[in-house]
Amino acid sequence: MAAVRLCEELVAGSYDGSVTLLCDEDHPPYNRILLSAVLEGTQPADALTLRSEQWFADRGIDLRLGARVLEVDRERNEVMLVDGTRLPYDRLVLATGAIPTLPPIRGLVRLDGSLHPDVHAFRSLADCRRLDVAVKPGQRAIVVGGGLLGLQVARALSVRGMLTEVVEGADHVLHSQLGEAGGRVLARDLRRLGTEVYTGARAVRLRDNVLVLDNGHSLETDLVVLTAGGRPSTALARRAGLMVRRGVVVDAHLASVTDDRVHAIGDCAEHRGRTTGFVPPAWEQASVLARHLCGEDVSYDGSRNVARLRATGLDVAVLGDPERAVGEIVEMTNPIVGSHRRLVVQGGRVVAAALVGDLSRVGLVTQLYDRGTVLGVDEPGQLLMPEAAAAPVTLPDEAEVCACAGVTAGQIRACSSLEACRETTRATTGCGGCTQAVCELLGVQPELATS
Amino acid sequence: MPAIETHCPYCSLQCGMRLSGRRTPEVQEWAEFPVNKGAMCRKGWNAAGLYGGRERLTTPLLRDRATGEWSPASWDQALDVIAERIAAIQAERGPDSIAIFGGGGLTNEKAYSLGKFARVALRTSQIDYNGRWCMSSAASAGTRAFGVDRGLPFPLADVEQADVVVLVGSNLAETMPPAARHLDALRARGGQVVVIDPRRTSTATRADVFLQPVPGTDLALALGVLHQLVALGAVDTAYVEERTTGWEDVKESVAAWWPERVERVSGVPADDVRALAAQLAGAGKVMVLTARGAEQHSTGSDTVLAWINVALALGMCGKEGAGYGCLTGQGNGQGGREHGQKADQLPGYRMIDDPAARAHVAGVWGVDPDSLPGKGRSAYELLDALGTDDGPSAMLVFGSNIVVSAPHATHVTERLESLDLLVVADIVMSETAAVADVVLPVTQWAEETGTMTNLEGRVILRQQAITPPAGVRSDLDVIAGLAERLHSPVKFPTDPEEIFEELGRASAGGKADYAGITYARVRDELGVFWPCPDAGHPGTPRMFLDSFAHPDGRARFHVVAYRGAAEQPDDDYPVHLTTGRVLAQYQSGAQTRRVKELPDTGPFVEIHPMLAGRIGAVDGEPVTLMTRRGTMTAPARVVDTIRPDTVFVPFHWVGANKLTNDALDPASRMPEFKACAARVSIPPVVEQGRQGPSRDQEVAS
Repeated sequence: MAAVRLCEELVAGSYDGSVTLLCDEDHPPYNRILLSAVLEGTQPADALTLRSEQWFADRGIDLRLGARVLEVDRERNEVMLVDGTRLPYDRLVLATGAIPTLPPIRGLVRLDGSLHPDVHAFRSLADCRRLDVAVKPGQRAIVVGGGLLGLQVARALSVRGMLTEVVEGADHVLHSQLGEAGGRVLARDLRRLGTEVYTGARAVRLRDNVLVLDNGHSLETDLVVLTAGGRPSTALARRAGLMVRRGVVVDAHLASVTDDRVHAIGDCAEHRGRTTGFVPPAWEQASVLARHLCGEDVSYDGSRNVARLRATGLDVAVLGDPERAVGEIVEMTNPIVGSHRRLVVQGGRVVAAALVGDLSRVGLVTQLYDRGTVLGVDEPGQLLMPEAAAAPVTLPDEAEVCACAGVTAGQIRACSSLEACRETTRATTGCGGCTQAVCELLGVQPELATS
Repeated sequence: MPAIETHCPYCSLQCGMRLSGRRTPEVQEWAEFPVNKGAMCRKGWNAAGLYGGRERLTTPLLRDRATGEWSPASWDQALDVIAERIAAIQAERGPDSIAIFGGGGLTNEKAYSLGKFARVALRTSQIDYNGRWCMSSAASAGTRAFGVDRGLPFPLADVEQADVVVLVGSNLAETMPPAARHLDALRARGGQVVVIDPRRTSTATRADVFLQPVPGTDLALALGVLHQLVALGAVDTAYVEERTTGWEDVKESVAAWWPERVERVSGVPADDVRALAAQLAGAGKVMVLTARGAEQHSTGSDTVLAWINVALALGMCGKEGAGYGCLTGQGNGQGGREHGQKADQLPGYRMIDDPAARAHVAGVWGVDPDSLPGKGRSAYELLDALGTDDGPSAMLVFGSNIVVSAPHATHVTERLESLDLLVVADIVMSETAAVADVVLPVTQWAEETGTMTNLEGRVILRQQAITPPAGVRSDLDVIAGLAERLHSPVKFPTDPEEIFEELGRASAGGKADYAGITYARVRDELGVFWPCPDAGHPGTPRMFLDSFAHPDGRARFHVVAYRGAAEQPDDDYPVHLTTGRVLAQYQSGAQTRRVKELPDTGPFVEIHPMLAGRIGAVDGEPVTLMTRRGTMTAPARVVDTIRPDTVFVPFHWVGANKLTNDALDPASRMPEFKACAARVSIPPVVEQGRQGPSRDQEVAS
């Protein structure tokens, strides 16, 4: 997704060089964010494509599908594909993303190196299609990994009618984003939706449709999905001699610190010691890099990220890093109604937040976070409280009831009938919105009032 | 004396009413007129309140620039002075040194005559009007999508037949109250109303669904809804295939607008975006109506296109009781934009750079096509150019109160003051008239006859009911009198019906074709919908039923990208400012503020309790609002119906538009009235001898 955005921005910036986009998948770039929705059945797979082959062709971009890069030869400024093709470059951008991590579970991989037929990864459209076919309502499924992706997949399988369980090695789900209180609220929601959650438990062995956990449980299953994290895909960069820690280490121009003609953006890049794994930072990096390549004087200074769980019945928003951000913590957990809200506030600004269960304020909190609004001392607390329900009130005589004609409750009360009210005050003769209120004040039936 | 059937002097609904009485008219209901069926808001009921006011101008006034004093003049003196000055300025600086600024409240006859006067008598290209600040974004989008721009391509009452009506940035319960009756009728028969607005307005309180986006993000919301309609498989592919072009590119362009992304941009929770899409997907008839809240942005025309895309994808446009429409604002917002008041157009929506259009109109006018000037500047660009080296140095203003209604008003007022000659025709000493060199007292509603075209494209007739005060003349007399003094090659008639017949001929064959409409038909048929090309044609209440107005008969999808408001909040100006109307006032308030039955509350600043708590604002106490362009102080109105990150100010009083941003929409040239960045604070205690922010407060009190 970072690469498509880069292409879009290069087009928008009228980049004067030629652009080649190498994709190892056979499908033109698509919206990976929506894969779990495809699995869930709420998003058709044919509406994932971000840009068609025609779009690239119309803009002079050489899109090559199924083109897997074997090596990068930095001395000759060439990339070599597995089919032997060699392509020269002036600038090389790595947007290789991440690859799923295989957890150390015995029996996952067969002797020939392939995955056990009942075991699925969930990263690409091909993974999604393969899993989609394997879904059988009424059968059992286990999702290994209780992160954002794992929970989305678990919900998708559950919505599709599978008896789904989640296994998470940490002591609560979404442990990278949420504290224990939030994780517990979320696990409760999952159980309420029929998905059992095993936390603090690692899967150690898969044998004969049984997944064995290190806490002694043996879970029967027909299907295992591995969503226990991913890691930046850096093998090419490593072999090319670029500096790689967790990801390809880049500077403020998203250029490798080893070779400024090679850039990295998205999940595979490491900027100031951070890799992200989310779309918004990847897009911001793509945008900055495109403008840099078009000659603008811009630099990348990190991103604000908002991570949202996309799954029917589960409501989670994570803004920034609420577990590690520095600041005052304002927190409210209500396990009875299943809501958890945490704000990390520094100098009056919301620098991170987590919202679980009740997202009624997510739009506002996100705006305040993204814009760095300086709040008053009462506001963080107010943001955590549910919105007060309006109590019914008796209208005072001076309250305006009919805005169109400017008539107060007192003037209406002084009328003997609806007709008299209309005649003398013209209340109800404008937009008609006050008819009910006027009838109540006069103690008459509203249906008589409709003209 | 029998009552005269006519229409309200204010908004684009043009409610039917009867007037009786000779001196001051008395308003009575006209229950047969279908748009409002006798209902009216207090502006309409009290329309006669403007008569007999002491502020009415009844003699031309000349201002002495040295002393600032006004002196009365005869009409001949005043018109002679104007004509002489114009001739002298044009002799020195050429035809384009004179500008005309018109209004969307002028009758069709006046709008048409002004356009003709500019091109024939003055030979200037520099004419535009305040309608540019009204629905130009919808006009631009409608033209691109459908091939023609008519606010509503169906009668307003069709609203009642829809299953879901989506109001994007419209507070019609306050801005055109009787229209809200159609929404209630719709709900009474089981339909649903969706309101999208940063404020929970009185319209929102009678809706089934209310979404409260950040100002300037309606476009993102539309992209998200369309994304979700694709996800739900709700796109009417047969319709799209048969009646439109451009769908595939649009479909692809919304693949990246999943609901959570929309939530982050717009502040509307993702589940609400999904719910709205599901609601639309499940409805047989969906109607999307936009108004200024969606349109008055630097991305206004793209926002309208994005919502039109939604209506097209659902297969709604050209289907009875469904489709897309724009709720025009000003009284003649529709007609005023059709007959040559715009910088780029000739009567009948003809483009001024189209040789065939020039030939046709020049033929009707009896002049050489080559003598007609080309395109001029759009409204704000025109005002911005006044008094500059290559801009006009004189301007004639009809039916507009620029000082109050223009964005970045302080700057615009400076431009007006830099002119060598400013002439304003008005009924009262408006804020703009007050800075003029010559003020001409003109007739108003009920003192004159003329047609208007309401928001539905229905041509209606306002009939004279009373005799104007002595000393007052019609705008048409002003135009004719000046044309004669400027030795215009053709004579300008002053009889409205005669002008309307000429307008009919000029518009014949154009998109807004009035050729078959006569005053008699308008009276007999309770209005006639254009296009109406000949006497035997019934008029066109519903457009697009069989085909759209593009040459291939298809509607066009347009790929649009979200850009956001031109000015975003930052540390210095941390909140959004948006503007709008209140029920009891109309536009710059020049008329309504002088009607004693209408409460003149003065401006106020709507602010959420959380924001009020942050800055220490108290309900009813003054707060100061500041943007990069200006400052105003007005009482706070602390309400929980507005977004906590947004403040609202009504624009009927001097002040609001000193704050607004003059960033323009690239297609429509609409300024961004509805979103800019502001700072709100408690006004400082005014020190002795120092000018505090009191001037605006005086206006407010």
